[in-house]
Amino acid sequence: MNTLIAIAGIGIVAMIADILRIRKIIFPVAMAGLAIAAFTAVSDWNTNTRYFNDMMFFDNYAAAFSLLIVVIAIIWFVMAVPDLKTGNHYSDKSALVAFSLAGSVVMVSFSNLAMLFLGIEILSVSLYVLAASNKNNLLSNEAGFKYFIMGAFATGIFLFGVALIYGACGTFNLQEINAFVATNKSDLSGQMYTGVLLMIIGLSFKIAAAPFHFWAPDVYEGSPTTITAFMSTIVKVAAFGALYRLMAGCFSQINEWWTTVFIILSVVSMLVGNIMATRQSSFKRLLAFSSISHAGYMLLPLLTLSDLTGTSLLLYGAAYAFASIGIFSLVSVMSENDDESIDSLNGFAKSHPIKAILFSVLLLSLAGIPPLAGFMGKYYAFYAALKSGNTSIVLIAIISSLIGVYYYLQVIIAMYKPTGHTSASFRFTIYQNIVLWTCFLITLILGIFPQLIIGWL
Amino acid sequence: MESLLWIIPVLPFIGFLINGIFGNKVPRSLSGIIASVAVLGGFIVSLLLFISLLGDENLSFTSKYFTWFHVGDLKLDMAFMVDRLTSVMLLVITGVGFLIHVYSIGYMHDDKDYSRFFAYLNLFVFFMLLLVMGSNYVLMFVGWEGVGLCSYLLIGFWFTNNNFNDAAKKAFIMNRIGDLGFLLGMFLIYQTFGSLNFDEVHSNAMTYAYGQPVLTTITLLLFVGAMGKSAQIPLFTWLPDAMAGPTPVSALIHAATMVTAGIYMIVRANVLFTLSVFTPEFIAVIGLLTALLAAFIGLKQNDIKKVLAYSTVSQLGFMFVALGVGAYTTALFHVVTHAFFKGLLFLCAGSVIHAMGGEQDIRKMGGLSAKLPVTHLTFLIGTLAIAGLPPFAGFFSKDEILVKVFASSPWMYGALALASVLTAIYMFRLYFVTFKGQFRGSHHQEEHLHESPPSMTFPLIVLAILSALGGFIGIPEIFHAPNLISEYLAPVTHFSSSYSARAVSHETEIILLVSTLLFLLVAIWFVYNKYVKRQAIPEPDEDIAGFGKTLAGKFYVDEIYTYLIEKPLNAISGLGYKFIETGLIKGVVDGTAQVVGALGLGIRTIQTGKTGTYLFAMVIALIAFMVIKFMI
Amino acid sequence: MSLSLQILQHVPVNNYVLLAAMLFCIGVFGVLFRRNTIIVLMCVELMLNAVNLLMVAFSAMHNDPGGQIFVFFIMAVAAAEVSVGLAIMVLIYRNSGSVDIDLLNKLKG
Repeated sequence: MNTLIAIAGIGIVAMIADILRIRKIIFPVAMAGLAIAAFTAVSDWNTNTRYFNDMMFFDNYAAAFSLLIVVIAIIWFVMAVPDLKTGNHYSDKSALVAFSLAGSVVMVSFSNLAMLFLGIEILSVSLYVLAASNKNNLLSNEAGFKYFIMGAFATGIFLFGVALIYGACGTFNLQEINAFVATNKSDLSGQMYTGVLLMIIGLSFKIAAAPFHFWAPDVYEGSPTTITAFMSTIVKVAAFGALYRLMAGCFSQINEWWTTVFIILSVVSMLVGNIMATRQSSFKRLLAFSSISHAGYMLLPLLTLSDLTGTSLLLYGAAYAFASIGIFSLVSVMSENDDESIDSLNGFAKSHPIKAILFSVLLLSLAGIPPLAGFMGKYYAFYAALKSGNTSIVLIAIISSLIGVYYYLQVIIAMYKPTGHTSASFRFTIYQNIVLWTCFLITLILGIFPQLIIGWL
Repeated sequence: MESLLWIIPVLPFIGFLINGIFGNKVPRSLSGIIASVAVLGGFIVSLLLFISLLGDENLSFTSKYFTWFHVGDLKLDMAFMVDRLTSVMLLVITGVGFLIHVYSIGYMHDDKDYSRFFAYLNLFVFFMLLLVMGSNYVLMFVGWEGVGLCSYLLIGFWFTNNNFNDAAKKAFIMNRIGDLGFLLGMFLIYQTFGSLNFDEVHSNAMTYAYGQPVLTTITLLLFVGAMGKSAQIPLFTWLPDAMAGPTPVSALIHAATMVTAGIYMIVRANVLFTLSVFTPEFIAVIGLLTALLAAFIGLKQNDIKKVLAYSTVSQLGFMFVALGVGAYTTALFHVVTHAFFKGLLFLCAGSVIHAMGGEQDIRKMGGLSAKLPVTHLTFLIGTLAIAGLPPFAGFFSKDEILVKVFASSPWMYGALALASVLTAIYMFRLYFVTFKGQFRGSHHQEEHLHESPPSMTFPLIVLAILSALGGFIGIPEIFHAPNLISEYLAPVTHFSSSYSARAVSHETEIILLVSTLLFLLVAIWFVYNKYVKRQAIPEPDEDIAGFGKTLAGKFYVDEIYTYLIEKPLNAISGLGYKFIETGLIKGVVDGTAQVVGALGLGIRTIQTGKTGTYLFAMVIALIAFMVIKFMI
Repeated sequence: MSLSLQILQHVPVNNYVLLAAMLFCIGVFGVLFRRNTIIVLMCVELMLNAVNLLMVAFSAMHNDPGGQIFVFFIMAVAAAEVSVGLAIMVLIYRNSGSVDIDLLNKLKG
């Protein structure tokens, strides 16, 4: 709970700083606020407190996901701050990001569907603005608009599902719905099932799972790069946190019913994401499709709910998010050159030999090459799916991850090719270097000691 | 001794870090030396381990560092294990690896990315060591992926080669298919035995009865992995294409070490393979077909490295045949001798290419023996060794394979003997055309012909000595001398040897040996006749005249050779190349890429950029979900 | 129990569900087939209002105020959403001079 207050505080301070013309303090305040948020998330460990009449419930799961989100946010802020500072509306953007973060913390700690709805909306509405925040760029506008229209549409579907469930159960409280489902397990109405399906579809829009992924590549490509990094990491982790919390907290009794939905979503996401990524020439767009495929992998642990589901989601989320942020620090440098094509990376290894190795490691982690964090994440996800007896799904997952290695390797090969006719120069600031090294170290450490995350939940 | 284990892989890794991070800031003279010394250090420790393992039969060193991960009932340790099998592999990897590193100092001397090359090379050695030292299947898989990665990096080291993208793509897809098999095999092992540690899996497997279907499935899947890495039919064509990389890379990765990983894996899991039906026969047949097909194709290649590449594929086929008939130690013996002579041959080829200023076509060479005496002599030793002439290394290992194969199936012996004769034919053809006769290159090249520097000839000489004498570690039983290597490795295959105790009588063995030798000599004589006698004008050597005089019906025999042997051979060779290599394999590889591409195009048509289309697709998907969940 | 609630409860809840579903579908069709972004936005609002209607009806049925509170949340959020959406639309109009939804297809593939 204090985590939420600390994060919301950052947003308010950022807005006031603009009025008082002390913009310089925003970055230190954000760092301090996020540090406090991280600290309070840790101190909430094992407290299991309920807030606001049981609207929110800070259990260990919520604390762990909040902590992960806050840590990613710290790294994201360090990466984004040069970009935010040079552009317009530094304070507004920082405030919006902080509110969006607050929304994501709500999403992983709700215990009432109303809070889930509010969390999603607080997160999304801020993001609509941020996606369009490059005001004079029509592509950015288009991205914001597409995100907005489709997001609002998905919200409508989601809400219709909520309403139907409310009609069947008469409550929005997770525990009460769970109890209702448990007692009426055998004769649940079609209304209830329709509601569950619509809610799943609404949330799978947020996690960008195919076939509800269409917005993702366009929005990721059009948005300012730092915002894309935010969307593809924090938003995804938060949405998965919410999805798991919802399915495990409410509908664990009718697991068999919704598993097929998740299987379809997962398989289609893995295939569409990976196959489409092989055809991209823009690095940013490639990452968008790869994020769709990662959504597919992250759905695997959800096929059966066990004590392993939460931790493997957490591990996968961490592995994916840290590797992505690191790679986005490269994309943000590419964006400054106004050339985000993969070919523009030619000659990169020549001019930045060490960075080329670091980026290669991060890309390989996303591809799931051992012994990096991405491999561990995939390993646990596949293991969880295998335990639930979905051997054929794991087979598809392995095949599609092999396709995945192909396009990640293409990027690496591009980096190691000699310079083409145009030699782009890559200017890394100290912030980006810090982010890169941090992400690299975390990726290595999590790959070798996955116990750091696995042991907890 | 346990406390020393970590040193072996860590040294090359440190070398990688130094050369990788400091890059061109490391003085040129130093980076090659750092890399070589790192591998040499590993070799010394490996030697110590080898010696200390000589005593007790069942001794093995295990060193656990930390628990890697622990899920449910699966616990995996980050641990190294060195038993006799590993120690042999360690000696080969670090020993031959060291020599190739030293060679590279001279070979890559003018390359601008000198330190990057050594960084990759050390990284490769590190992963290869991880592969053989890991104490469980997952760690083995880590090494397995790592060497693959380094192999791509090194194939593409010279980006100027335009075929690189195709070669990398091919190598990539084929290795992925193999990896898929390995991964699935690992999952199945875990499901069956509840563990992935070598000790537990194998001791658990020993309690299984012969012929459990699950064992057959596991071993077939593992063999698919081996097919990819060790270039067997149908996944073999990436290896010849991989020759785009620098020659020391071909010697180290694509001849001596990485491609033998599949054989190591099968020997390591020999308990599983021995207990399964069908898989061993399947391995033998695939190995046999590969050995034959690659040998046929080798007959018609004119690129010096391509010939060696196909011969590597063919020799790997030999090893798999040996594995298939249960002769695990014999296969490993051939791995060792093959590492010596094939490493040697590649390095010689590198020396030739170096002298010729990058020329690889043997039709433009000829008569190099005078200008490159050391290379010539060592290449000859390598050729004799690979052709299997006594007393060179290849003779002993190949003979042992042939005898073991005869014991299990005479017709397979016949086919394999044919492959071995073909080996002699194409290798001597290569040797004669390259080193004998007259120089056929440009005048400019002729002026620049020179013997390579000592850093390059030294490894050649050492490897030549090993190729000449290395076979004596495995003397056949009929000579009443101890077969050192099979005794040393006996504990590893202790369990399996009780299953495959077929042997042939000494008389049969001698007949086999002599007849094979006779065939080889006849074949070499044919090649000699064709490429030295008929093409070299005028005949320079008195020897040839003497040899030729004994042949009254020379023309007649040549005709027979041409019509009965050469024409059909060429036809088969051409056919194999055309249909299997370009047709089938290319079809599969390109087909996969095309299917993925077409699917991508299909999905792409929906990704129009129009919000309306997206919303429409989402609604359709929603309705589809409704239909699936409520109507069906 | 108030009179209004009694009247609300007098109508069988199925009728409300049917009405809300129809409204929702009209909204969906509007979003799908109209090209003017303003109208698309209004159709999204229609979808949300269908949900509101449904919530209120169920709230009356269950005699539970939670549903009506939820409706307030939805209305507040929808207002925020619309304001953001209109702002983005103004931006687009300024940069491209049009609010035709199909003209926004620079990002694709």
